[in-house]
Amino acid sequence: MDASVAMYVAQGIHGLAYGMILFLVASGLTLIFGMMGVLNLAHAAFFMLSAYFGYQMLAWTGSFWLALLVAPVLTAVFGILMERFLLKKVHAFGHMGELILTVGVSLIVLDGVKAVWGTESLPLKMPPILEGLVQIGGMQYPIYRLFIIAMALMLLAILSLVLYKTRLGMVVRAAVSDAEMVNALGINVPLVFMCVFGVGTWMAGVAGVAIAPILTVFPGLADQMGMDAFVVVVVGGFGSLGGAFLVSIIGGLISSYGVQFLSQYAAVLMFVFMAVALAIKPMGLFGERE
Amino acid sequence: MNKKTKSLLWIAGALFLLIYPRLFGIYYANIVVTFAVYALFASSLNLLLGFTGLLSFGHAMYFGTGAYGTALALTHIPGLPLIPAVLAGLLASLVLALCIAPLVVRVSGNAFAMMHMAFGQLMFVLALKLRDVTGGEDGIGGFDIPPFSIPGVISLDMTDPILFYYFAMTVIIGSLWLLWFFTKTPFGQIMVAVRDNAKRVDYLGYRVPHTKAVVYVIAGCFAGVAGSIYALFQNLVAAYDAYGILTSFVPVMMTMVGGVGQFFGPIYGAAIFGLIDEFTTRFTDRVELVLGLVLVLVIMYAPYGFAGFITKMRLRWAARKAA
Amino acid sequence: MTILETRSLSHDFGGLQVLTDVNLQVVAGERHAIIGPNGAGKTTLFNNITGTYTPSQGQVYFKDKNITGAGPCKIQRLGMGRSFQITSTFDRLTAFQNIRLAVLSQKGIRFNLFRFVDQMDEVTRDTVEILKRINLFEDRFTLAGNLSYGKHRSLEISMALATNPDLVMLDEPTAGMSVDETHYAVGLIRRLTEGKTVVIIEHDMEVVFSLADRITVLHHGTILATGTPDEIQQNPNVQTAYLGQMED
Repeated sequence: MDASVAMYVAQGIHGLAYGMILFLVASGLTLIFGMMGVLNLAHAAFFMLSAYFGYQMLAWTGSFWLALLVAPVLTAVFGILMERFLLKKVHAFGHMGELILTVGVSLIVLDGVKAVWGTESLPLKMPPILEGLVQIGGMQYPIYRLFIIAMALMLLAILSLVLYKTRLGMVVRAAVSDAEMVNALGINVPLVFMCVFGVGTWMAGVAGVAIAPILTVFPGLADQMGMDAFVVVVVGGFGSLGGAFLVSIIGGLISSYGVQFLSQYAAVLMFVFMAVALAIKPMGLFGERE
Repeated sequence: MNKKTKSLLWIAGALFLLIYPRLFGIYYANIVVTFAVYALFASSLNLLLGFTGLLSFGHAMYFGTGAYGTALALTHIPGLPLIPAVLAGLLASLVLALCIAPLVVRVSGNAFAMMHMAFGQLMFVLALKLRDVTGGEDGIGGFDIPPFSIPGVISLDMTDPILFYYFAMTVIIGSLWLLWFFTKTPFGQIMVAVRDNAKRVDYLGYRVPHTKAVVYVIAGCFAGVAGSIYALFQNLVAAYDAYGILTSFVPVMMTMVGGVGQFFGPIYGAAIFGLIDEFTTRFTDRVELVLGLVLVLVIMYAPYGFAGFITKMRLRWAARKAA
Repeated sequence: MTILETRSLSHDFGGLQVLTDVNLQVVAGERHAIIGPNGAGKTTLFNNITGTYTPSQGQVYFKDKNITGAGPCKIQRLGMGRSFQITSTFDRLTAFQNIRLAVLSQKGIRFNLFRFVDQMDEVTRDTVEILKRINLFEDRFTLAGNLSYGKHRSLEISMALATNPDLVMLDEPTAGMSVDETHYAVGLIRRLTEGKTVVIIEHDMEVVFSLADRITVLHHGTILATGTPDEIQQNPNVQTAYLGQMED
């Protein structure tokens, strides 16, 4: 096979893997927003916190799989605690209060990890079974990235099943389009909110542990991902899962091929993409409401 | 407080600021300049956040653009006098605000906040990557600071910290006065009305997007002035300080802590932040952690900030006196 | 002379037909009441006229101008004021500031950034005069959100009138008021709308029959009848469809 084609494909796999991670983070964000109208600016901080938890779990137990299982759950617990004890209290002050509160929590988490784990970049080793390359159809693929794509697709499938086939999913979807109606139906909305917040944070947590072996664990981990996830949510349309999925993939590919061809301007591309999209559709590609 | 004591207090305050650098020296004069720059920056944000109800997480765009405008003008135009250099910063912010305003005035709430975060980051990344123009992470520094001069009358060396203190304070206090004045004009009333009930403003025959656009551009311009003074003061503008996300968060936090929607709120907030910064850095590197905690506590227990607290105390005092 | 006219106006919300072929004519100088059971489409009709919604079909003419699809701001500037069923004032501003905003709009002062609003004596005088006429002068420094319900409603109605429009659209001005408050509000409306054209949505039949020159009955999104109070009272269709039910 042609070497340049191989390069395109490899870059495409990188882009898809990053896009999937992006989707895991952004879908949690957009789900929480669609459901509760809360834009959780601490979302990326939780993503990073989970990577640190994962590092710690691995350091204690030596098992990557345990880390991948436990760290996101722990992160989700933090998310739920924030929702229960902080967000609820400022609800009366409106969106502004919620945004500012989550900024505060984000600062605490981002700086807190430095206090606990220092500013060094920490390694999180992938399990041996996922190391190396695999040969498919005469081309070599990095196993770990394929694993990320597969895992994200699996989570997406589960999420879709829950959203479209269960009663809980029906309630969640109804709430995304009309929160008042769900209230009127006599459903325990606070409980559903808590679940959604937990699941959203958990998905960010999974993404955090999953990406750690590639990027290592460091305090700046949240910056890039946070901004990219926000771009995805803004461009995909606030509260739109489908939009988040599509834009995540596009964003991942843009980043990946951008690095290939424009190297240093790759980071700008994402925002240029956003600026163009917003200039055409101010409410996001799939969004209808603010 | 009657009018007479009020004006006496103002005069006393002005006199204090006048002799302050002589009393406390350069170090403390510089602290006050830093405070004043942030006070103006945060006050310009409060025009959006407090008075018009628009939360921006990208106000650093205008601060940074003002700073870069002045720095670039001084770097590339030899012999540019001081005032035009400041105006260059203001103009740069004005142009940016005029470009962004049409995109953002039709949204509010979360969408407004997020679009700003995104645009702010776009500016940040651009400043990082367009190294030839902006100097990237290292920034632009070491440009000549022109003297404040009126030909044939006076020429003051602006590299003298004390003289610069007077210049900076004059510009900033003048700008703050203008901002205050805007809130007292008919237009100032309309912008507060937009915050309270934009729908009704529409039905009263005012154009809501136009109103927002004018407030937006004014807020951008004054943030630009703050940035410009900052550039002159530091003699260095770098991407992170100018456009970083924290630079956007700081005025929001100052406004919230000081008191949102009250004119003096962000000024109190800037002072409180200055104090927190000054003291926490002596004990720990974790300044952001402390700021985050302060922010969470304020939004949970004192959503109207320090100014709100003062108002409450004053009302309580008045009630006690009346009883 | 007709000041306001809707021509085969229809409105549907995603397939749900709320207004069908409504032809309303309001004569300059009259007080025109719109009545009908809940869900008849009264407020939707108002929203189509005042620019909240764009009609799905048909046109709206105001002073012989086609205003179909124009926004609230533009329609207001042509001389149509509106009040809301759910009180919609500036709740964190004082009663004085609320009325003053309407007065400023009436005087066309919009983008004035160069004068203290407090020093605009003419504006202050007009505002105070209105506040006195609506008995809110004593409460002028009270935040609108802290006013008693009756006073809050008075403020709501007065803001629509303070812009001095030629046509006032009042959406249930007495909604939620006690008998005394209603009585007072009716007197207020009568006084303030002297010489103006008024279109009013109202549930209280006593108010309707004492205030209105002409009445339009809306039923299931169509006009059932239009006429003087006497004609409406005697109209058999109206009696079976609406008035009869009310008395049960």
